[in-house]
Amino acid sequence: MTTSLDSGLSVRGLRKSYGGRTVLAGVDFAVAAGELVVLLGTNGSGKSTALRCVIGLTEPDGGEITLRGKSLKGLSGTELARSRRTAAMVFQQIHLVRRRSALDNVCAGGLAGLPLSRSLAPALFPRELREHAMACLDRVGLADRAHDRAGRLSGGQQQRVAVARALCQGAKVLLADEPVSALDPAAATQVMALLAELAHRDGLAVAAVLHQPELARRHADRVLGLLGGEIRLSCRGTTLSDSDIEALYAPDRVEEA
Amino acid sequence: MTATERPRRPVPARARKPLYVAVAVIAVVLGAAHVLAWQATEVSPGALVDGWRGMARFLGEALPPDLDWDEVVQPGLEACLTTLAIGLLGTTLSVPGALVLAVLGTRGRHPVVYQLSRSVMSFLRAVPDVVFALVFVTAVGLGPFAGVLALVCHNVGVMGKLWSEAVDEIDSGPADALRVSGAGAVQVLANAVLPAVVPSLVGLLLYRFDVNVRSSLVLGLVGAGGVEFLINQSIQLFEFDQMATYILMVLVLVVAVDLLSAAVRRRLSD
Repeated sequence: MTTSLDSGLSVRGLRKSYGGRTVLAGVDFAVAAGELVVLLGTNGSGKSTALRCVIGLTEPDGGEITLRGKSLKGLSGTELARSRRTAAMVFQQIHLVRRRSALDNVCAGGLAGLPLSRSLAPALFPRELREHAMACLDRVGLADRAHDRAGRLSGGQQQRVAVARALCQGAKVLLADEPVSALDPAAATQVMALLAELAHRDGLAVAAVLHQPELARRHADRVLGLLGGEIRLSCRGTTLSDSDIEALYAPDRVEEA
Repeated sequence: MTATERPRRPVPARARKPLYVAVAVIAVVLGAAHVLAWQATEVSPGALVDGWRGMARFLGEALPPDLDWDEVVQPGLEACLTTLAIGLLGTTLSVPGALVLAVLGTRGRHPVVYQLSRSVMSFLRAVPDVVFALVFVTAVGLGPFAGVLALVCHNVGVMGKLWSEAVDEIDSGPADALRVSGAGAVQVLANAVLPAVVPSLVGLLLYRFDVNVRSSLVLGLVGAGGVEFLINQSIQLFEFDQMATYILMVLVLVVAVDLLSAAVRRRLSD
């Protein structure tokens, strides 16, 4: 178990507050290589903030983040960036460059490994990167749409392109912040099945924030429930009960921001 | 079902009262400003009505336009090309400067860099292009080159400001996505920010080209050449029928530039 945890993500005592409002009050969790962990919780329960702290979009107040056995504590500058690069993130808003082709968007995941002179425009990207990106697109089942503009693809296809971009980055830890909230049920199922497959077949550590308990039940290996900035629930996806869900989303606990 | 049977509910009172006082104050201030402006500009509809004969005579002399090929039309066409050339170079040569200032003047830069870049752009905008033209005339003499230099200076300020605002307006999501993948600042700029803003940057560029072509009207006054120079000349010589010809040419030129830029912008928009 420890060896697989070393190749995944572990978070210890993560704390974050915004102007006196505590969002994360010491959160501990781990995602092993090869498993899909789903984080559930109400709006404002801190699940997205936890992922954003891991990827570096939000600066935590305290706690320790370990990626593939390497603690980020004390690292800075290029060393921190290099360690963080083993983690990638996909977003609810997908965040592709709509005017560029699917393939060019996937290539952009590999920018960090390129010299500046080869990274200023898609025409300059090395062939090796383009072929790797093509393999990543094929992995998400969109090889035939490589030259379509990202903006022309459906929402589900765009999110799969975003996943391919994360793969092209070479990430071993994949974070997904509400990846299916903007998608129709069929597309949502397809994206979740892809995330589960990336964990189970390709050995990635996948952590996804979801708002649909049904999807968590169907696809997650483990479910973590956040409430009031703490983990209050931890169970296998298949054993997630209705009363668990009710406790997490109890209306009297919801504090509208 | 008649209208009276439609379900009704009382509208709850709003927590915040509308700001009647503020609206009234703004209305009074605006009204006063217009009265003062009316007096300051000596607006007098009576003078306009009384002087209609003068206008009619002036327009009568301008029509029909003088379409003499050797004397008017051919020199006019050549001057149009000069005007177009001044506008084209004045726009194109200002691109590098505008791009640098725009990038340095976007939100999120170091405050000193941001303020400095904003100040430079404000200065270039505040100085009218005709003043730049006079300055450059003293260096390179009368002629189109001074006009080009003047347009470049002024346009760097205007286009830089328009571009930096366009960059500020785009969704930062794709840039964030690349940043967390480990891409450097220039890589993010080239692969997320630029592709998203290029359509609006090109649209603004074409708009400035349009404006710059028309700006040579003022530059003609300082001898920068072009068709507007001929317009000034014909006015001074009281050849109003020639002036009409040149104005028609400018009209065609401006409409052509506008059609071109509209077509390009349509192709660029997604």
